Amino acid sequence: MPEWFGYIGRILYVDLTHEKFEVRELDEKDVDMFVGGIVLATKIIAEEMDPRVDPFSPDNVLVFMTGPLTGTIVPCTGRYVVAAKSPLTLGWGEAHASGFWAVELKKAGFDGIVVKGRASNPVYLWIHDGEVEIRDASKLLGLTLPETELKIKEELGKDVRVAAIGPAGEKLVRYAAIANDITPDGPRVAGRTGMGAVMGSKNLKAIAVKGSGQIKIKDAKRVRSVLKRILPLVLSYPTTQIHAVYGTPGEIEEFYEYGDMPIKNFSLGEWDGIKNITAKRFKELGIVKEHRACWACPIHCWKYAEAGGAKGRAPEYETIAALGSLLMIDDPFYIEKANHLCNLYGMDTISAGVTIAWAIECFERGLITKEDTGGLELRWGDPDLALKLIEMIGKREGFGKLLGEGCMRASQVIGRGTERYCMHVKGLEMPMHDPRAFKGMGLQYATSNRGACHLQGLVFRIEQGQRVHDLRIYERPDRFDYKGKGRIVATMQLWHEVVESMVICKFIDIPPAHLAGLYSMVTGRRRNVQQLLQVGKRIFTLKRVFNVANGVRRKDDTLPERFLKEPLKEGGAKGQVVELEPMLKEYYEFMGWDEDGVPKKEVFQELGILELAKKLYPELG
Amino acid sequence: MAEEGFELVSEEELKEEICRVMKALYQRGLVSALGGNVSARVPGSKEFWITPSGVFKGAVEPDDLVKLDLEGNVVDGFLRPSIEWPMHAAIYKVRPDVNAVVHAHNPFTLGLALAGYTLKPISVEAVMVLRRVEVVPFAFPGTDELAKLIEKYAATGARALILQNHGIVAMGANLVEAEAVAETLEEVAIAQYVALSLGKEPPTIPERDVELYMKLYKIQ
Repeated sequence: MPEWFGYIGRILYVDLTHEKFEVRELDEKDVDMFVGGIVLATKIIAEEMDPRVDPFSPDNVLVFMTGPLTGTIVPCTGRYVVAAKSPLTLGWGEAHASGFWAVELKKAGFDGIVVKGRASNPVYLWIHDGEVEIRDASKLLGLTLPETELKIKEELGKDVRVAAIGPAGEKLVRYAAIANDITPDGPRVAGRTGMGAVMGSKNLKAIAVKGSGQIKIKDAKRVRSVLKRILPLVLSYPTTQIHAVYGTPGEIEEFYEYGDMPIKNFSLGEWDGIKNITAKRFKELGIVKEHRACWACPIHCWKYAEAGGAKGRAPEYETIAALGSLLMIDDPFYIEKANHLCNLYGMDTISAGVTIAWAIECFERGLITKEDTGGLELRWGDPDLALKLIEMIGKREGFGKLLGEGCMRASQVIGRGTERYCMHVKGLEMPMHDPRAFKGMGLQYATSNRGACHLQGLVFRIEQGQRVHDLRIYERPDRFDYKGKGRIVATMQLWHEVVESMVICKFIDIPPAHLAGLYSMVTGRRRNVQQLLQVGKRIFTLKRVFNVANGVRRKDDTLPERFLKEPLKEGGAKGQVVELEPMLKEYYEFMGWDEDGVPKKEVFQELGILELAKKLYPELG
Repeated sequence: MAEEGFELVSEEELKEEICRVMKALYQRGLVSALGGNVSARVPGSKEFWITPSGVFKGAVEPDDLVKLDLEGNVVDGFLRPSIEWPMHAAIYKVRPDVNAVVHAHNPFTLGLALAGYTLKPISVEAVMVLRRVEVVPFAFPGTDELAKLIEKYAATGARALILQNHGIVAMGANLVEAEAVAETLEEVAIAQYVALSLGKEPPTIPERDVELYMKLYKIQ
């Protein structure tokens, strides 16, 4: 058995149906090919499940996975990924969160947890120093996220770390989240693609962890010495400094100037209300109080807020836009409350906001009526209405039951042309960066495996002028130009697979070559950027096959019509639409996909994953 | 390493020498805390060692260096190579006579170039050490565009390049020679600047002597 550095070397497999556990040793070959984090999680899912299963069936496999850097002295490595088939997109699902839970899981003796089956009654897992228990969770049913964590801490001790779902996950809201490190100032949230609903479908309310183990580092002295010398420059990057002072909302004014921050369901380019919802405004009003940090984080981008009796994590940029500007509501106290509500019920603020915006626009256009809404009159700029809808979604009551399906499925149920106003890709609601302001983002959204995803690639950073020398992205492409974006988007997507395999936060901008070096020094397994990019491609391609097996083709690599045909009449992206087709062509060529968006056989051969891919999609032959 | 023959400088010594040069450039004020980079070709190979990016240049250690091939693939080392590696690789590709490259930000050399002055043969060193100096138009640091420009100007046989709005590149058959070129550029620039600031166009050494040196050192 090898001596592991960075890794713990063990993965816990839990079969909830039969209440059985199995501990499997980490395979060195897997580590060589798939590193860790999301990359290893994908490989496990490819091996363990049929991609065509119903996401709410016991056969869906839910994987929590840390990375080789998680919990080490490398900064911002308190992270884990969680992956399964998404109930929102019926394709590849994944989400990521930071905090401390993942570090505790490794100290408790596991790199990851693979959850299969479905418990007959509500349960939670208690993992401590290599021991595993399935415990009754009937008393936790219906509890909000903070209540759930506090109750578990009452049972197990206040120093356990908890990842849990709220009522939204229990009730299978298709964009329910998994949250961890919830009280007193959290939560941290793995929000996207409905991983909380998958957990809910398994009758699994929470996973509590506690450990006293150590994460060994191959050359700790050198890692420390290198970090000491590279961090001063890394921490001086302007975005990092803005995040340190204001968190992600510190970028609101800039995004607004670009015409990037969406207003009124992505239909307006200017809005006076922006000035009332800036990060400075949240500070001036005393809503945002203090800085907080996740494991080993020198940035402290997480802010703590208190307002109107609500306490906890302050709203991020995405939340301020999704529940604020998107709905034309400029009241920071409301935004804080709406954010808090989502965090009590445990659901993705982006999907919630976009789905509500869809309903309001359709109501305004007469496509949805009071008969659909149960008598509610939907309108822009109404904080009371938005709060009511969030509650109804969280509880899956009345009209909220339909909204809890996500905007794509809800629009399919209603019909009447409402699909046109639903802002999603492959079923995942659009994040808060308008692709007409950054056209590469349009391509990124159209091709990301989990649907409209702003994180896998962060291409708007390149379009703002950032160069990534280590990935040989030297050009500073005009944000409105589409030429040459195919290679840039693909390269950034592949690299972000690597980031999620480590797992390290995207807010610490450690250049790729330094990250490769840190991985090598922590694990004793030397890898350079080019080798890691190959790992990224291996897994991005495998996820694509997971989606191909579920019917995803070129027709699905698209954007809502609004971004392709309707230019904004004002603002920083005035007059722009996304020229997707030429970018897609270039992208497919770079990735080695055929004209219909299916990766070519030789790509699988080159990446050494043909057999695994054939398991997912036997039609590959 | 060469397969046969006497190994005058081991790779470890080469790395130590790179660090010595880097620190000396910092101490002389030719680079700032995070600026500049130094590389040396591994004798007889298509690989070179280069200083890392993003770390304090006044205290670079041999373990910080990164070994690359001429395509930029990391062969050895853990840190991020200087983002200017494409420029260094471009020089090694077109100049078999060059085994060491120094990139610094010589303030006086750059200042004179920005003001439109060219360096003149005001001393014997200006002729013998610098030999041929070319001015390279601006391209953004670390880009392949800059590397292509450098390749073009290095191919002229120049020993020193002044990069407009950026800095200098000094080349040599070994590290000491490249270091001497970088320092001589600055010496000559300072001397020329002092003369100019005192209101005098500096006299140059006789043209006949310059021609003689050129002939002696086979400089075209």
